[in-house]
Amino acid sequence: MAQRMKHKWGMVVDIDKCTGCQACVVACQSENNIPLNTEDSFHQRRAMEWIRVERYWEVPDEYRDRPEEAPFQDVKARFMPVLCQHCENAPCEPVCPVFATYHNDEGMNVQVYNRCVGTRYCANNCPYQVRFFNFWEPVWPERLRNQLNPDVTVRSRGVMEKCTFCVQRVRRAETKIEGQEDGQITDKSLAEGNFMPACVQACPTNTLIFGDLEDPDSQVSRLKDDPRHYKLLENIGTEPNVIYLKKIDPRRKEDEAHG
Amino acid sequence: MANGNGHITPVEVDLTDQGITEHLSHKVFAFDRRLAYAMAGLGVLFILGIIGFVMRAVGDGFSDASRHEWGYYAAMFAFLLCTAGTAPLVAVAFRWTKNHWRRPLSRASEMFALVGILNLLWFIPLMALLPAIDLNGDGHLEVGVDRRTVWFEGPIGAPLWWDMAAMIGLVVCGLAILWVSARPDMSVVAARGSGWRAALMRKLAMGWQGTKRDWRRQQAFLAMLGGFYFMLLILVHTLVSLDFALSLVPGWKDSILAPHHALTGIQAAAGTVLVTIFVMRTWGGYGRYIGLDPFWAFSKVLLGLTLLWGYFWFSEFMTFWYGRDPTEQSVIKLVMFESYRTAFLLNFFFSFVIPFGLLLWNGVRKSVLGPTIAGASVIIGAFFMMVRLYVPAFNIRDVGAHSIADFEAGVGQAIPSQLLPVTPDVWDVFIILGGLSGTALIFLLGTRLLPVMSMWETKEGLLYMLVRPLLKGRYMVLGKPD
Amino acid sequence: MQEGRSLTDREINRGLLNSLYQNPKWYWGSVTLLGVIVLGAMAAAGYMINQGLGVTGLNRPVMWGFFITNFVFWIGISHAGVMLSAILRLSKAEWRRPATRAAEVLTVFSLMTAMLMPFIHAGRPWRLFYWVFPYDWARGVFPNVRSALIWDPSAVFTYLTSSILFVYIALLPDLAVIRDRSTGVRRTIYSVLCLGWKGNSRQWKLQIIAGILLSALILPVFVSVHSIVSFDFSMAIAVKSWHSTIFPPYFVIGAVHSGVAAVVIVMALMRWLFHWHDYVRPEHFDALGRLLIVVATGWFFFFVMEFLFGLYGLEGDEISVKDFLTAQAPWSWWFITFVGTTYFIPVGMWLFKSVRRNPWLMVVACVSVNIGMWLERFLIIVPGLAQKQLFNFAWYTYAPSPVEVVIIIGTFALVSMLMLLFAKVFPLIPIYDIKEGEILKQEIKIGRRTVPAVIRED
Repeated sequence: MAQRMKHKWGMVVDIDKCTGCQACVVACQSENNIPLNTEDSFHQRRAMEWIRVERYWEVPDEYRDRPEEAPFQDVKARFMPVLCQHCENAPCEPVCPVFATYHNDEGMNVQVYNRCVGTRYCANNCPYQVRFFNFWEPVWPERLRNQLNPDVTVRSRGVMEKCTFCVQRVRRAETKIEGQEDGQITDKSLAEGNFMPACVQACPTNTLIFGDLEDPDSQVSRLKDDPRHYKLLENIGTEPNVIYLKKIDPRRKEDEAHG
Repeated sequence: MANGNGHITPVEVDLTDQGITEHLSHKVFAFDRRLAYAMAGLGVLFILGIIGFVMRAVGDGFSDASRHEWGYYAAMFAFLLCTAGTAPLVAVAFRWTKNHWRRPLSRASEMFALVGILNLLWFIPLMALLPAIDLNGDGHLEVGVDRRTVWFEGPIGAPLWWDMAAMIGLVVCGLAILWVSARPDMSVVAARGSGWRAALMRKLAMGWQGTKRDWRRQQAFLAMLGGFYFMLLILVHTLVSLDFALSLVPGWKDSILAPHHALTGIQAAAGTVLVTIFVMRTWGGYGRYIGLDPFWAFSKVLLGLTLLWGYFWFSEFMTFWYGRDPTEQSVIKLVMFESYRTAFLLNFFFSFVIPFGLLLWNGVRKSVLGPTIAGASVIIGAFFMMVRLYVPAFNIRDVGAHSIADFEAGVGQAIPSQLLPVTPDVWDVFIILGGLSGTALIFLLGTRLLPVMSMWETKEGLLYMLVRPLLKGRYMVLGKPD
Repeated sequence: MQEGRSLTDREINRGLLNSLYQNPKWYWGSVTLLGVIVLGAMAAAGYMINQGLGVTGLNRPVMWGFFITNFVFWIGISHAGVMLSAILRLSKAEWRRPATRAAEVLTVFSLMTAMLMPFIHAGRPWRLFYWVFPYDWARGVFPNVRSALIWDPSAVFTYLTSSILFVYIALLPDLAVIRDRSTGVRRTIYSVLCLGWKGNSRQWKLQIIAGILLSALILPVFVSVHSIVSFDFSMAIAVKSWHSTIFPPYFVIGAVHSGVAAVVIVMALMRWLFHWHDYVRPEHFDALGRLLIVVATGWFFFFVMEFLFGLYGLEGDEISVKDFLTAQAPWSWWFITFVGTTYFIPVGMWLFKSVRRNPWLMVVACVSVNIGMWLERFLIIVPGLAQKQLFNFAWYTYAPSPVEVVIIIGTFALVSMLMLLFAKVFPLIPIYDIKEGEILKQEIKIGRRTVPAVIRED
């Protein structure tokens, strides 16, 4: 067997391409056995969306202090897919008393459901609010029983869960590709082998791009230093592995180049 | 237990009302050669300090551009506030708690209120150095352009004139405490002496008769002024540390700094008083009044304050270190672990490790030398604390920046000049010496006017502390008047 | 003149043991009533564990609510015991004597109650052994010592152990007194409990040394416990309003504030219930009142600092939390209530000597303090979470569910019930300490005045 590669998985989210279609949300929901979000669970603010599309309104800079006065044609709806940022310096990790969440050597922030006792400290300490608690025992209607993904654990009530970068697919990629002679994980092999995270695979506009940040040829490595790149809440020093590319606004001077 | 250890009677038994009056008023007027030499030496050093200040003022001027030259001057101001400025609190606090062992040290600690005048004068040049709150002058604050302060946008004259008002209040209140508490002794000194000093004391005693009404009013005023002094002191520590250190460092958001500063002040004041009574006992000829008791009792207080110092420091460090916020990391690198590492280590050792290591032991606490060494150590520690807080703060030029984390260059590159440590030059050394000698000189001048041992409190102590037999031993009985 | 009359040893024994030997009508009635409330709370907790935490009012931003508030509150109350016993013992304050035992026992019971809170608030309480015990040596999996939630149980259990020891050491002489006055099974039990106490000089010496050693050793534990509880909050970088360097001392002084106030309530109640007017005297309330003014004012300074630094950064996230707290109903009402009941109402009352010397007015002031301190914890924890970061997509609010309210009420009933049961088997005022105080009482005559005095304890 070939020497195992050192990976650092990451994602690039190109806000410019996002149409807010929610395909990623649905794909994630069905891939990862996430309980159904009913109207009730939304009202209780206990809905689970490992990836969610946040919508916000953008007004021209001159109206920043008084957004309600901006002319309606200049107010733009914007979409921002938010998922676990898999921070290198994750605030949720050191606070878990039972090591239920930790950073693995491939740049992923992982959750061990078995160990989790549900103190919910990690959720408090997550600035992105991407950690979800099972307030109730998850139930699926009888007709959806066969829809559950056998590769993913069904979590019981009382545990935390969050985006895993579809670790089951990544693992499959590692065993299948790296197990072969001269096997090497590339963007192409990930895409061909159906090993991309569900959300990436489902995204119709290629807003979400997944890959190995250690591999200089991968698309994420090339995009991570794009002039449009930024990270969410960069100032608190969490060092996310999810990189955002900002919206190109032709009205803005510095964006004209991307035009 | 009266078992011959000699510590049970803080005032030796042969002391009488008459003897105390005569001895202490004699001490005020008697010429002492050693004291004269000491005062002359201190005077020379003080003049050096003035030279240092003048050279600094002439050479660098007072402006935003020269602020970084004044870091040690500011640190020395804060140090004087911590030691002499806070020392009267010792008298106030233990008078409140009615501890009998405070009697020999309360006047000595009040006497430091006189140094408040020096402290106040010291403050005036600093006012010229503090940058405006609204740096671009557009009338409202904006992060990244204007400076953050605890005053936000209001009130008019903030922070300078409000700080000045608090400082004046503190100094006036300290002098008032000294005056109210010393009035009985002033009238004694006036009656026993002659010349201008006695005349001055007579005037200041303002007709003290020692009637019941006089004493009642004195007690009431002391309690009230003590309360004011305590509050003003905390206020001044808060304002000084927040306006002259924290708010100059962009992004330094440290809610424990003000309490920690005040605590360092109280700790250093305790050290100051301990060292003072040690000097008085050993070289000042007041050995008869100062037994082991004040040292023993005071050392417990100092141990408590030292532990609190360590605790407050730990609260600050832990929150900043664990949070891993880039700004906070830069702040602790600046004032603790990189730029001012030496000052911090000295601060930590002298303010915490040494006094804690010494005072931990019963035998050390129950001695004269042990608490004194610990006291001297916390004074030194407080000095380095002020250095590591004020010198880096004064060295920062972009006070309106968003965060000092933005100043930092990339990995492996040199530390930017705003974050580099500043070493004292010769004028700084002169200024530091001048501050120290000025304090001692003013204190010694004070002892030429007033007895440095409170006569009425010592005499009162004779009434309330008795030795009585009980069962097989003899025990100290302490009166607990309301 | 000394306040209160001089008591003989016989009177003291009789007076202080009457809680054990008398059976007033109210006693079993109140114990039963409190027991029913506790059972109700247990049923509610059982229902919650059975159904999942969905039955609470918690939601995505507000993951901690009433339970953690109540946890911090009871830990705070537990600080009274050490504050009074250890500090006053070391500083030899004479007025500590009737207050120490009640304070220490309150410490023990409130700590036990406090520890129930994190257990039931966890998502899977049946898996809690993962939390505090290094259970899995084989795979080298150890609890995460970097987590403040591991420091918590370590500190609290240390504190609980040492305060139980503290209570027990001080109980020994009194247990022997009870042993000498009982027969049959009771005598056997007390004989075993008092560890063969004979009252010889060696035993007294050991008991005193143990008491002083424990006082000195327990003080750092006492400070560490609430500091670590505050670390649960101040270590969290994602909740900006929690991440404040002042939190450890702010929490400790707040705990002392609420704890001492709680001791005042207990003292007034036992004075009334057990007719201990000769032991718990107005002078004791006076001294506690003065102490409380100082503690409250210190607390207020820390509170102002904490609040000020919320705004100091001029950053939107923290300002929004303060805005939520002070300008949005109903939170603004809670905030006003909290500031008033914690500081202005009680301190305003304590400034008057006649109030300080009146037990019932003191109870009113101290209940007000504790209402305020409960709200303080609530208003630190919940608004900070509800508006956690500038990343405001998930801002929300919190309202407790009836299940939570019932459990919270149950904890108050539990502590009261345990205190009452304790009073039935052990004296709530240390008999030997009161006797010692009687011996040390002296008087000094100065002219025509007689000044109360004490023999100095070395």
